[in-house]
Amino acid sequence: MTDFSHRFRLSGFCGKKRVWAAVWAVLLLELAGPAQALAIQLHQGKEGIIVHQVGHLIFLLSMVVLVFIITGRQLNREYGWKMILLSAVLFSLWHVATITAHFFDNQIQVVTVENLSLWQVKISSTSGSRLMVYFYHGLKLDHLLCVPAIFCFYRGLASLVAAQRQTCQKQNDDREAEA
Amino acid sequence: MIFSSLPILFVDMAGSVAMVIISLLALNKARQLRELDTDNAIFLYLLWISMGFTIFAVSRSCSHILKQFLILTANPDIWHVISPYTGAVNTVSFMLVGLITLFFNQSWKINEKILTSRRRMELTHTKLRGLNQTLEQKVVERTEMLTSSEHRARRIFEQSLDTIIMTDDKFWISEINQAGLTLTGHLKQDVVDRKMAMAEVMAHDKEWQRIQDLLHTHEFVLNEETDFLRQDKSQVRVLITAGVDYGAFGCRKTYHFIIKDINEKKQMEQQIAQADKLAALGELSAGVAHEINNPLGIILGYTQLMLKEKTGVEQDLKTIEKHVKNCKEVVSDLLSFSRKGSKEMGLLDLHKVVDGVVKFLKNHSDFRKADIRVRLPDKGPVTVRGNAQELTQVMINLMINACHAIEDHGSTIEVGIVRSGRNQVNMSVKDNGIGIPQKHLSRIFDPFFTTKPVGRGTGLGLSVGYGIIRRHGGTITARNRKGGGAAFDICLPLEDQRHIPEKEA
Repeated sequence: MTDFSHRFRLSGFCGKKRVWAAVWAVLLLELAGPAQALAIQLHQGKEGIIVHQVGHLIFLLSMVVLVFIITGRQLNREYGWKMILLSAVLFSLWHVATITAHFFDNQIQVVTVENLSLWQVKISSTSGSRLMVYFYHGLKLDHLLCVPAIFCFYRGLASLVAAQRQTCQKQNDDREAEA
Repeated sequence: MIFSSLPILFVDMAGSVAMVIISLLALNKARQLRELDTDNAIFLYLLWISMGFTIFAVSRSCSHILKQFLILTANPDIWHVISPYTGAVNTVSFMLVGLITLFFNQSWKINEKILTSRRRMELTHTKLRGLNQTLEQKVVERTEMLTSSEHRARRIFEQSLDTIIMTDDKFWISEINQAGLTLTGHLKQDVVDRKMAMAEVMAHDKEWQRIQDLLHTHEFVLNEETDFLRQDKSQVRVLITAGVDYGAFGCRKTYHFIIKDINEKKQMEQQIAQADKLAALGELSAGVAHEINNPLGIILGYTQLMLKEKTGVEQDLKTIEKHVKNCKEVVSDLLSFSRKGSKEMGLLDLHKVVDGVVKFLKNHSDFRKADIRVRLPDKGPVTVRGNAQELTQVMINLMINACHAIEDHGSTIEVGIVRSGRNQVNMSVKDNGIGIPQKHLSRIFDPFFTTKPVGRGTGLGLSVGYGIIRRHGGTITARNRKGGGAAFDICLPLEDQRHIPEKEA
């Protein structure tokens, strides 16, 4: 029998490198030409929304954790961290809103959206609930949460930069005074 | 229900643009924060999270804008093709930001450790700097103290009037001060550079051996009297104190000697003792002479009265008269020695006294064998207050003694006058005869002390001379000369010429 592994070793193409090459090759093939892979598990269309929802949940979880860490370490006494805390809260709310909206229209599909024209949109509930329709319409305005959230994050960073500059200036003054 | 799509559209588009802009601004701020303190792990974390937010915002906003654009331009099919990819990117960006955020606590702990370490380092640095400054200050202070101490020690060593000698463990001289060089008469290069041995400056080997034994036994000697040998082979009486030193690190053995010149002190003590003894003898002699002088006068008077008469024993009476006169002369000498006589003092020139004595004695038969040399100062008269007859007597006595001390032809007697400072004059009589035995030096001015055969001297000449010179406020000393022979030095106070009245001068 021909010993191929020996040849691979001779060419420097061996061990972990081979494994990673194989992984990358499969991924690229998958992305370039999605098709039914009969040899492996079949993934249905709903997987995408579930992965997306999981992504939102991880983001939400991380924001909640961040809120607890900032409050637990009492960082929110400082204005910059207070703004970052507010940002985390707003992002959390935004995730809740988006997760809910995705749940209604993509997962359980109790709400349908139809563009009637350029300026009109029809939102209908399968149960016929007007409250659901209004609620969903409100959820569609999610930027009203995420824009203030990112703005608060920006303001927090700007405040931290200013505070850090003051600290550096003070340190320099102290060093000059010592010198 | 039908709604106007404008609010949703506006909020979606404007919100997307705002998200991109604000997230980029936030990323810029995070970058600035990171640049302000590159060692801060929290700032690094905030930069990462800003990057995550930016990726998320750009990805999501772009996909939203693209979606609206494609729908508005009636290309929903294209959007349906693209939407899975944009959605996937959005999902990945969520997860990325979420995962980064979940690391916040770890980042905080790492940062705390870094800050704690930095604070400790700064504290340690401050302490080290303080210690370093203190150390530098201490080094400066110690150096100053050391320099001052060394300067003091060096000054004591160099300026000391006592001799200070340092030797190695073999007693080779390694250091000697100026007083030591003056005492020994050697040059520094001879002593130090050529490594002179201590034994070479000690006059007596046995005494040096004894001092060495004491040093080896007790590691010190205290006030040991001995003689130092000078370069000209003369001896100086000294007092030695010495000790052992093992150096700053205890491994270099050296000996330190402090040597005090007591030669003059010894001589002074001897002179004082001599003066005391002679003063006591003078008192005694004065008493005896006074008691004898009166009976002798009576005996002489009666003897002379009887000689005027014819008694038939004239010859015997003349013998009595002769010996009584001799006795009177002895008594007179004793009185001169004890200063009881009263002689007039006046200003006189020592030149004339010496000239007169030399001229007188040169014609004497005993002095023909001797070469009499006279050394007198060239400048003017040497005026002293005294009695010329008495000083002449002293000079004659000294010259006769010198003549008796020299035996052979070719011997010399030197008579000299030398000014000593502004207030004193030294008059000396030197011979190159047999000298004075050491044991006799202390008794030479004693009354009736003589080494001459019986009948050649009464032993009163020098004691009378001593009394005369003392009465003149001077001193007379006897010594042996280095080349052989004896020397008598008379030191008399000079009369200041400015204070001499014209008539007397």
